[in-house]
Amino acid sequence: MENLVDQGTRPDCAVIALIGVTREYAGHGGVVRALDQASFSIVAGEWVAITGPSGSGKSTLVNLIGCLDRPTQGELVIDGVSTSSMSPAELDRFRADKIGFIFQQFHLIPYLSALENVMLAQYFHSMTDAKEARSSLERVGLGHRAEHLPSELSGGEQQRVCIARALINNPPILLADEPTGNLDAANQKIVADLLRGLHATGHTIVMVTHDPEMAALAQRRIALSHGKVFCHPVNGPVVSLER
Amino acid sequence: MFFRLLMESFRRQRRRKLLAGLAILLGTTAVTAMLALATTIGDRIHQELAVYGANIVVYPAADQLEVKVGGVDVKPVSGGALLHESDLAKLRGIFWANNITGVSPELPIRVVGKTASGMSVDAAATGLWFDHFLGKADALKTGTAAMHPWWKIQGSWPKEEATTDTGSEAVAGTVLASHLHLTPGTVIQTNAGGNTASRSLRITGIVSAGDDTDNQLLLPLNAAQQIAGTPDAVRRVEVSARTKPEDTFARKDPDTLSPAQREIWYCRPYANSIAYQIREAIPGARAEQVRRVEQSEGTVLKRISGLMWLISAAALLAAGFAVSAAMATAILERQGEIGLMRSLGASKTTVALLFYTEAGLLAVFAGGLGYLAGSGLAGWLGARIFASEGPASAGSLLIPVLFPVVVTLALLVALAGSTPAIRRALTTDPSAILRAGA
Repeated sequence: MENLVDQGTRPDCAVIALIGVTREYAGHGGVVRALDQASFSIVAGEWVAITGPSGSGKSTLVNLIGCLDRPTQGELVIDGVSTSSMSPAELDRFRADKIGFIFQQFHLIPYLSALENVMLAQYFHSMTDAKEARSSLERVGLGHRAEHLPSELSGGEQQRVCIARALINNPPILLADEPTGNLDAANQKIVADLLRGLHATGHTIVMVTHDPEMAALAQRRIALSHGKVFCHPVNGPVVSLER
Repeated sequence: MFFRLLMESFRRQRRRKLLAGLAILLGTTAVTAMLALATTIGDRIHQELAVYGANIVVYPAADQLEVKVGGVDVKPVSGGALLHESDLAKLRGIFWANNITGVSPELPIRVVGKTASGMSVDAAATGLWFDHFLGKADALKTGTAAMHPWWKIQGSWPKEEATTDTGSEAVAGTVLASHLHLTPGTVIQTNAGGNTASRSLRITGIVSAGDDTDNQLLLPLNAAQQIAGTPDAVRRVEVSARTKPEDTFARKDPDTLSPAQREIWYCRPYANSIAYQIREAIPGARAEQVRRVEQSEGTVLKRISGLMWLISAAALLAAGFAVSAAMATAILERQGEIGLMRSLGASKTTVALLFYTEAGLLAVFAGGLGYLAGSGLAGWLGARIFASEGPASAGSLLIPVLFPVVVTLALLVALAGSTPAIRRALTTDPSAILRAGA
């Protein structure tokens, strides 16, 4: 398979731009190249699905975009700032400002209420504001469940709390990792509608998914295989791609 | 939010926190007990070694040469310089007055007379305090009986207040009593001589000292002074004082030291500096430390203190390892939370602060309890080891100054013990939880 490069989006207009990004790990059998010379851009307000089989480099790509890791080579620019030369502390701060995470497993703290789980993201970002956190929960339709513990919520409700938490600090990028992977069809639809709504209001969504139906919701699909990136238009030519 | 996370951590990981707290509690209990004993051991060892006699002896400065035959002072009372009994009250005014635990003045005389059965008596005798109050306010109850606790008395000690112009009470050494067939109740009538009248000495007891005292009569100092015709006279004074073990600085001559160094020397309770202060307080007196007792005390103190420090260090080390193990498990259980916090933008410092605060709170609480438990243990151990009576062995041995020391040690142990687990948790890739199950 040929490594395709997104030619249609200029990196200087992008909210996320990877320019020849490589990530290597030292393994027992030598150096493993998890991501190989990846170059693509995502513009503000775009909804992109990242797909690929296990071991294709999705996790590495998510870690890099989520500022949890830095490239071995190349440059990763997020919201106009290169993360490659940031110190770990700067990267922590940058992550809190720029990225809202939506996890497959929700990762809510079990002993905190839905409201407190949302406030936790505020706490690590700046300062807590219960009113604001409550309105974030109302935005995902869970205002009436604010005081409930995660164990008292359904899977779909937990994922909506997770989305409310991701939105609370108004990050420019939502990074969703298999957001419907643990949900039944009904809840999958609720979450998909929520993401659609967020996209409609201008949020940039980067979504890792195995689910073709969810991938179909995105404007563009970035396929990974053996650490290499292939870009496909899914729902119309948002960006022009060249083979 | 910080306190919410903190409190929930204690609430949810009660067992883990209890284990870590217990480790700190046990460690600080042992340390408090050892420190409390180590800080009071000087007094206790002194009490124990007090049975071996005084550690300072006071002589008249003008009377350097003692004349003793078979351990008995044969110098005539009138034949040498004497100290004044009335001057001994000045011992209560010296800098280290409160460290003086016993004072026993002596006046050796000869008693010549007859018993009621006609047996001739010509024996060495010593005038002593038996149960005397030295000083007025805050008087020290002292005397030869307290300073020689190993002396065995059959009968009772003579009473100073029983001394009159014509007679007094006395006790006889076992050898002398056997030789002269003296028993409690026997009366010796002394010969009149010079400017002294005949007096009766009623034997109230037979004393066994295991030394030359067994060949003597012991009588109240005021009676000896009357018989010798030397009121207020004292030949020698034994002083028992709590002292700091002798070191090189203690052996310095204070007159050769700089004013600042002399001040330090003077304000340390060395036997030498107490002796120096006694010389200053009592005109014409020469005071010297009894080296044998002092050195034994110093050696014992050094060894026991060393052992206690060793036990304290071992207890703290063990507590540190236990805290480390308990915290490692507790933090491992919360890896998911740590990963989530990191992905939400929490810096390593913020997460570390949360866990260090937990460890710190645990240390303060467990350390405080350990201090109380250790104080109780110290009181109990003190009573067991030294088998002593008195305030030192009654209940716990609360030394307030140890509280901050023990809590600080607990904090250091808890923080040091938690550090490996916290470091490990923070170096774990937070992205691991992002992809959990993927």
